[in-house]
Amino acid sequence: MEILRVENISKVYGTKRSAKQFRALNNISFSVKKGEFLGVMGPSGSGKTTLLNIIGSIDRPTTGRCIIDGQDLTKLNKNQLAQHRIKNIGFIFQDYNLLETMTLKENIILPLALHGYKVREMEAKLARLSHDLGITGVLDKYPYEVSGGEQQRAAACRAVITNPKIILADEPTGNLDSKSGRALLDLLTLINQKYQATILMVTHDVFAASYCQKIMFIRDGEIYNELYAGESKRQFFDAIIDVMSVLGGADNEADYFSHS
Amino acid sequence: MKLITLAIRNIKRSFSKYAMYFFALSFSVFTVYSFLALMYNDQVMAKFTYSDRYRAMLISFGVVIFVFVAFFLISSNNSFIRARKKEISTYSLFGMTNRKIGWLLFVETMIVGSAALVVGLAVGIFASKLIAMILLNLTLTHFVGDVEFSTAPKVVYLTVVPFLLVFGVIGLTGRWVIGRFELIDLFKANKMPETRFKGSILLLLFSLMLMGTGYYLAAWRDPLLLMMLALPILVLVIVGTFLFFRGGLPKILSWLQNRRSYYRGDNLIAVSTFNHRLKSISGLMAAIAVLSAVAVTVIASGYTLYATVEKSTYDAVGYDLYFYTNDEQVLHDVRAAFAEHDVAVIMEHTTYRYQARPRTDMFVAAEWEFGTPDTYYRIYPQSEFNQLLRAARERYPQADVGKGEAVLAVRTGNNELLEKEWVGRKLDFSNSSLTVTACMDLDITDFGAYYTVVVNDSDFTALMENGDIITTDSGKSPFDRVTVVKYENPLGSHDLNRRLNQVLAGRVSSYRLAYNHYIDALENFGLVCFIGFFMSIVFILMTASLLYFKQIMAAQEERHLYQTLRKIGIRPQQEARVITKRLLPVFFIPLLLGFLHSIFAMKSADTMVFSGMLAVENSYLIVLKFSAAMYLGYGLVYGIFYLITRRQYINIVS
Repeated sequence: MEILRVENISKVYGTKRSAKQFRALNNISFSVKKGEFLGVMGPSGSGKTTLLNIIGSIDRPTTGRCIIDGQDLTKLNKNQLAQHRIKNIGFIFQDYNLLETMTLKENIILPLALHGYKVREMEAKLARLSHDLGITGVLDKYPYEVSGGEQQRAAACRAVITNPKIILADEPTGNLDSKSGRALLDLLTLINQKYQATILMVTHDVFAASYCQKIMFIRDGEIYNELYAGESKRQFFDAIIDVMSVLGGADNEADYFSHS
Repeated sequence: MKLITLAIRNIKRSFSKYAMYFFALSFSVFTVYSFLALMYNDQVMAKFTYSDRYRAMLISFGVVIFVFVAFFLISSNNSFIRARKKEISTYSLFGMTNRKIGWLLFVETMIVGSAALVVGLAVGIFASKLIAMILLNLTLTHFVGDVEFSTAPKVVYLTVVPFLLVFGVIGLTGRWVIGRFELIDLFKANKMPETRFKGSILLLLFSLMLMGTGYYLAAWRDPLLLMMLALPILVLVIVGTFLFFRGGLPKILSWLQNRRSYYRGDNLIAVSTFNHRLKSISGLMAAIAVLSAVAVTVIASGYTLYATVEKSTYDAVGYDLYFYTNDEQVLHDVRAAFAEHDVAVIMEHTTYRYQARPRTDMFVAAEWEFGTPDTYYRIYPQSEFNQLLRAARERYPQADVGKGEAVLAVRTGNNELLEKEWVGRKLDFSNSSLTVTACMDLDITDFGAYYTVVVNDSDFTALMENGDIITTDSGKSPFDRVTVVKYENPLGSHDLNRRLNQVLAGRVSSYRLAYNHYIDALENFGLVCFIGFFMSIVFILMTASLLYFKQIMAAQEERHLYQTLRKIGIRPQQEARVITKRLLPVFFIPLLLGFLHSIFAMKSADTMVFSGMLAVENSYLIVLKFSAAMYLGYGLVYGIFYLITRRQYINIVS
């Protein structure tokens, strides 16, 4: 079942007449099926984050349509978009974006609270998820009292708790050390498999990308290449490295494997 | 000079942030200048009857304002420097010495301060005539015409020097503050989230207990005791307020966080964010509560006095004019004065000051002692008494006393209690006794005695014949008779009243003119009103600009919070609601607490001042009515600053 369809999306920054026009995305089209774990890769400035913002309805495309679960985002007004974000989309950011003034528990249930859920329902959902994600013990702590890995897991928990149609992860391992990064990727895989969550992850970390089922490479606002995971993670990893070395902008992350 | 260019650039860049601060500073310069100018203007001075008192009041309030200006400057300067930690640390990182940075801060402070001085002085000089006219119109009934107002260099000098000194000291303390910074802390400063205040139930109870005790004492009914307790009450309430914001409010918030309604989205965000801000803002909130209480109490008292001055005049004097004399010539001259100024006399009545000493039991009623050996009463036949009442400015019900009965007139403020004690008691004269059947709450017929007794005309004649009533002292010389006069436009006929003062002064044993009392009261209360008004504006401006600045700083730190919320999917209206819930308590909890303090302060003021001035059963209700008007006004002006802050906050976070 198709959960997301992007049709001919372009995004142009700067006014039409000015010479400084910058085309961040150029006529991109693709679709994502339910339960898919898709990676988007590309060098800095290739338009990855712009694409993610458009799918997440934080930004609007200049032309083209973005359809999530049969709903055309370009036709929604501000309020409807906010509703749509709460209901259908879960965000995970590079810098976690947890609210520092709230405990992890409060952070996680925030989307539900904004949505007006009953306290009992919220707590039931939270109990189940936090157990799976292994943060039950630190729920009453504040973000600055726990490690980065725990913060990112809480952020993941917040993204998942509303049962969104699609989870958008923007460089989720970017701020984590390799061990925590791996733990988080395992977690995303778990979410993907156990809850059949659809995940779209933007990254330039080759190791993180190797956890995906499919990788889409973007360069200069256009889709450049696509890769599918095979039997062996190692092979997939090497294939990604090959593409990235052509594209430019990949980190040399082969040393991940030398540690493991 | 490179440093100065840098300083000017810094100021220009953050002008919108400083605008409110600058405005508050200019206004305080303006206020201090205006007060000094009024104080050193001989013409204005000459208009006041008691120029010493006037000068003393202006000086003391000028000092109060100056103290608060200093407080305001110090605390805003501290937050400025903290807000600029990052900028300062960048200078430091690139090798600027502390000395140079301190010098930069000093230059900046002096530039902003001098600009505020110039603006405040310019407005002050420009508006000084207007200010003087407002003051004179407010305080002097007979003031007509113009007042010359020149700018005295001395006043400018007296304003500029202390302000420059304060600015200088503050500019230099910046150097001291940054001297204590560690470079590493500077970089962490912005990232470290403020830790949450847990609060403590002990502090909450203790602070409530302190304030409650203060309130309880303030509601005491004994004016003398209140006078002695004034300082302890102030200490109790102020300490209680600070402890409440320091430890009590956080506890209440953490209780709120345990309630189910807390988990409704906007509450969750607003309460938790507010809770994290409390640490840096609790002192300021407490200061605002105390300052607002002081300011509204001053304007509420001033306004109550001012608005009730006519009533309090007649409560004190009773008649438009009365005087004691047996000299027919004086009476003749008084009548001539009325004729000369063409003022119609509505009623004139002359009576003996009859005196009697009936015996009663010794007892206390409504806090008055009766039956002591030296008690003597003014005694009137009913017809005479009713004539006097008719001559009074206020309308009193006429007395109707049956045979063998007596009515007692004492001003206690609590007639019910008095009647409960008195009705049925007997006044024993040498060979007859009268039963008290009613009491009246008035004292305008006493003319020197403590109490008045009204009896039936025929009983009066009998007592007179019996020698129970005397009209002469022990040396057989007659008491001065009293003449009361009621006439048209008593408070407005300035020339007539001046003439009456000339006729009566020194020639009669005693006289009272409502006009004199009125003019005197108006001068004092008008001045209190005037000063209270200025003080309130200065306080509002300072406290609001401190709050404004703190919230703007907070907004910059909370920006990412709203960005995250928008990504999660908060609706625009919901966001506006969160912002309201976030800011409203910061502004209005202190204000409401300040009002509450003031309500009790007005209770004390009522006991000490108003209840003696206003002859009504419950003067506190009248006081509250006038106070409420002032609270409302204060709240509205304060509310404007809340709205400005809210708007700026929204601009920053969106």
